[in-house]
Amino acid sequence: MEEKCICMSTMLSDSLSNEAFSLPRDRSEPCISVTNLKKQYGKDSAYTLNGVSFNVRYGTVFGFLGPNGAGKTTTLKILTTLLSPSSGSAQIFGRDLVKKQSEIKRKIGVVSQDPSFEANLTVEKALNLYGLLWGLRDSRARKDKVKEILKTFDLESIKNSKNDELSIGQRRRVQLAREFMHDMDLLFLDEPTVGLDPSARRMLLDYIKKHVMSGLTVFFTTHIMEEAEYLCDEIAIIDKGRIIAFDTPTGLRQKYVGVHKTIEITFKDILNQSFIDLLKRTILRWRKKDGGNMDGYDHNRNDNTSDIDVKGTNTVVITVNDAEHVISKILQLVYKNDMQIESISINPPSLEEVFLSIVNNKDDDNSWAR
Amino acid sequence: MKQVIDYIFISSVLLLTYRNLVAAIDKMFLIWQIAFPVVYIFVAGYAYSALIKDQGINVGALSITYVSFLTAGMIGFNVMNGSQIAGTIFWNDKRNGMFQQLLVMPFHKVQYVIANLITLIIIGLASAAVIMIIGLPTIFQDVNVTLWSIPYTILALVVGSVFFGSFTIILSTKMKSSEGYNVISNGLFLFFAFVSSAFYPAKGLPEPLSIAFYVNPLTYIVDITRAGIFSQIDVFTNIELVILSLLAAMVFLIATRAMIRMQV
Repeated sequence: MEEKCICMSTMLSDSLSNEAFSLPRDRSEPCISVTNLKKQYGKDSAYTLNGVSFNVRYGTVFGFLGPNGAGKTTTLKILTTLLSPSSGSAQIFGRDLVKKQSEIKRKIGVVSQDPSFEANLTVEKALNLYGLLWGLRDSRARKDKVKEILKTFDLESIKNSKNDELSIGQRRRVQLAREFMHDMDLLFLDEPTVGLDPSARRMLLDYIKKHVMSGLTVFFTTHIMEEAEYLCDEIAIIDKGRIIAFDTPTGLRQKYVGVHKTIEITFKDILNQSFIDLLKRTILRWRKKDGGNMDGYDHNRNDNTSDIDVKGTNTVVITVNDAEHVISKILQLVYKNDMQIESISINPPSLEEVFLSIVNNKDDDNSWAR
Repeated sequence: MKQVIDYIFISSVLLLTYRNLVAAIDKMFLIWQIAFPVVYIFVAGYAYSALIKDQGINVGALSITYVSFLTAGMIGFNVMNGSQIAGTIFWNDKRNGMFQQLLVMPFHKVQYVIANLITLIIIGLASAAVIMIIGLPTIFQDVNVTLWSIPYTILALVVGSVFFGSFTIILSTKMKSSEGYNVISNGLFLFFAFVSSAFYPAKGLPEPLSIAFYVNPLTYIVDITRAGIFSQIDVFTNIELVILSLLAAMVFLIATRAMIRMQV
């Protein structure tokens, strides 16, 4: 009954302050501010969220990553008002999330991980209805918007198909497209590209980027690290209900290995085992001479094999800190052995490596969190 | 300011109601909603009339034919049957992800409940009107409506819709699957349908069965509807209307509370 009272009073107070709602556009201001958020589903159950705090600035894309069951969806459900937190506070647009629900909901868009669709309607009619539900009352303006969205999301060929006749990917595209039927200041995307083909995925990411340029803030959860890397300005990694890392993608990479890089060499000839062993011994000798300089990486990797991988028959991938020095040693070795190189590249660690390292090492070291 | 609040609340409810009518209702359900009572009136009505040798049935001070009795009963029955749509809309919305989506939009659970009830009131009244029109030749000789009895009947049908609609909403929030919901609601509604005065009069029944009839809100809906259609409103039907209204208000509050407390 108490919850109901809160709900009713929230509706009334929200409606009262509706007219005076305006948003700051300063990128340094937090659009979302979460402080010590906790969620416990039952009195005796463990905390699904255990003191989560972070800020999301206006006009940025915030990546929220974590393994399955880490607390991503619970956080998202709290921020989208579907769940109430057990304790802690959250503000969106400077408004209290619990007290100003309706006011906040008018300015956000949500694309959830699970499909949602009007099964009995065609794509065009469903978009039209969605626009109406969002308050787009002018039928002419709504029709134009539907046309624009159908074109942008390449849905014109299926506009007369009913939603329950569509493939998973098409349905997903409609679900994403639908959210752009209304104006919003903050968009929550929960693994939005699941089921999309590569071109639709890239189109969506670029479309989001375009909207971010014009002021949209995006809260983005994904398991696909390339997407996070492509889109996100800042990334938080959550595991077991706690934020274990929070930085820019570049910042995370630097914290992860400092100057750690990957050297990938493709040879013209097929590699033989004796050359691979020689390569491993050379790198190991250099490392011992250099004092095993692997700071910031994996201190357990002092064996002579774990940071050299062979891909296919003619490619080696070597993970080192001081790539410039190591590469000169390797080139000498290649020259001495009369080998020919087809291509060579030095790459920074991928975000996926960063993610795996942080999640796998979280129990040993919590110093990642800013 | 109150007007602004009311406008925002009402407009959200109307939008959700419109959405229910255009998107959430299965057309086959609507056809069945009309077809079933009509078939029942014309098949069972005349078949049973032959069985009981067309003896008159008393409604208040009036003696009417069984077909007239059944037609008025089917209108009340139809309102109860139509209320299952509230649960169906909810389950379809949950299955298609629209329930959660609507709740992250500027809508509240309370508005969702009210919109579902309004939807089934509209469907209940519209189908009652259609049944009345189709069944008119069968009850033409007994119908006796007045300016007062028409709103009285409509009120009973609305209150009945709220009762059964809220009841199905409670049921659907408590059940873990749509299959479970269908089994339980069909079972309960079968009891409501046949342990009521929709198909046969309550007078002259064995006492336990007669008590069971008057524990069932459908009996009140049907009695009031008949009293309205045949202008036999008396103190007893007024008491039935008051009891029905109180029950409907109580069940509506429980349904709203169940919906608010439900984890999404």
